[in-house]
Amino acid sequence: MANPSTDAPRKKRWGFVMESDRCIDCQACMVACSVENNVPIGKHRNWINHKESGIFPNLNQTFMPENCHHCNNAPCERVCPTGATYHRDDGLVLVDYDKCIGCKYCMMACPYDARYVDEEKAAVDKCTFCVHRLDVGQPPACVETCIGRARHFGDLNDPNSKVSKLLATHDYYQLYEEAGTESAIYYIRSK
Amino acid sequence: MEHDVHFHWNMLIVIYLFTAGVSAGAFVISGLATYLGGTRYKRISRIGALIAPWPLMLGLFVLIFDLTKPFQFWWLFLTIQWTSPMSIGTWLLTAFSILSMLYFILWIPRPWRDLLRVPHSTADIFQPRQWRLMTREMVGISRRVIAAIGFPIGLGVGMYTGILLGAIPARPLWNTPMVAQLFLFSAMSSGVATVLLIAAFTPPKDGHDHLLHERHFLVTVDTVLIVLEIFVIIPFFLHQSLNTWSSAESMSLIMGGPFTLVFWVGVVLVGLLIPLAIEGFELFPVIWKEAAVKYSRLWGGLSAVMVLIGGFLLRYVLVYAGQISHFLPIMER
Repeated sequence: MANPSTDAPRKKRWGFVMESDRCIDCQACMVACSVENNVPIGKHRNWINHKESGIFPNLNQTFMPENCHHCNNAPCERVCPTGATYHRDDGLVLVDYDKCIGCKYCMMACPYDARYVDEEKAAVDKCTFCVHRLDVGQPPACVETCIGRARHFGDLNDPNSKVSKLLATHDYYQLYEEAGTESAIYYIRSK
Repeated sequence: MEHDVHFHWNMLIVIYLFTAGVSAGAFVISGLATYLGGTRYKRISRIGALIAPWPLMLGLFVLIFDLTKPFQFWWLFLTIQWTSPMSIGTWLLTAFSILSMLYFILWIPRPWRDLLRVPHSTADIFQPRQWRLMTREMVGISRRVIAAIGFPIGLGVGMYTGILLGAIPARPLWNTPMVAQLFLFSAMSSGVATVLLIAAFTPPKDGHDHLLHERHFLVTVDTVLIVLEIFVIIPFFLHQSLNTWSSAESMSLIMGGPFTLVFWVGVVLVGLLIPLAIEGFELFPVIWKEAAVKYSRLWGGLSAVMVLIGGFLLRYVLVYAGQISHFLPIMER
């Protein structure tokens, strides 16, 4: 995650680094998220992808935890007709629930299908990187609860953060890079 | 867990995209008839103008109930988001609604139009009692002015319904400029078909001859539009199939997937090829023998209904199939 202009004052850029090799698909992150954020039953703000590879008998399954990518170039924000979806200075993509009229255009535009309709709020909702916890200096609930330490969270623009160090020393990739979203989730390639 | 497919946009969206197209098409064909034919196509202009505002009104009414906050729809009008096709479309539809309503009023037949009073000089503007009937000249000029302003806006509405879907990279089936063209031509064709249908079943008082002129004009325009649609569908189909993996895979939805039958039979055969054959048959004497257009109310009505069914199904297929289309690889959740 290069900062395009070195002269500009460095802004925060919150992001995830996921280590597939450490994920055991226990789904504790999903439970923690649902409890922390009061996510409606049947909806999820985070989830775990399964990717099979290899040929029998040498089969392999990779688990890839995922949630909203808080894209720098967010398709959801671009298409929102009321400006309900917005960017905060630290790179978070958030929804103003009062401004959201629920047209669901953002759900069409999100290549990661990270959004869902919260009937009670009568608005579209998604992962906030636990913004209420971040603002008081705590990590997101999914990160705190992850028993395998597969989810790493931090400031991608800070070269001394855990996530930056992981990216500096590992081979990594992102999901649907061709969509031009500039996602804030990085995956460490499995060994 | 499976990668769930939910249709977050449902039939209400399909109805809205279709009715907006019919309105735009009716307005544009009415404007076209006003400029090209004058009094000769007066009935077409009138029918188009009298239809134009209503399907869209119905569509917008229905659309509001797709929102999670139906009664906050007016939030849309508090802002312009330049990068959101929906926001631009909101304002385009507002402009179109106002213009088509004015146009409707100008085309209301007498004696009802006589209820309308307008100021005849600038001094009269603030004295409504001085307002008088519109003169024949004023009506004619106003119609032409509104038609001219509304013409690009009507085309814009027709195109916007396609851009709404096409401007989204995340859905490979939609993400091509051809969806906008297809929707535009289909919208115009649906509008023309509606006018055709109504013109066929409300015969003019002054005789049969009039009807043949009108029919010639409408059928010619519709034939051109259908051919244009076919010229969009063929490259759409080829391009998508020969495109990236995600785009090529998205074509499997209409090539063996769940929407195959409704697309090829409903949209292509019923909506395009059969109406084209019927209209070609009607126009045949004109092209071949320079005689009058063949006319049968049954076949004419049938082809118009088929065009409308095809237009509706086109939107149904694209709205539903497009939501399933996805960047690849899709991982199991």
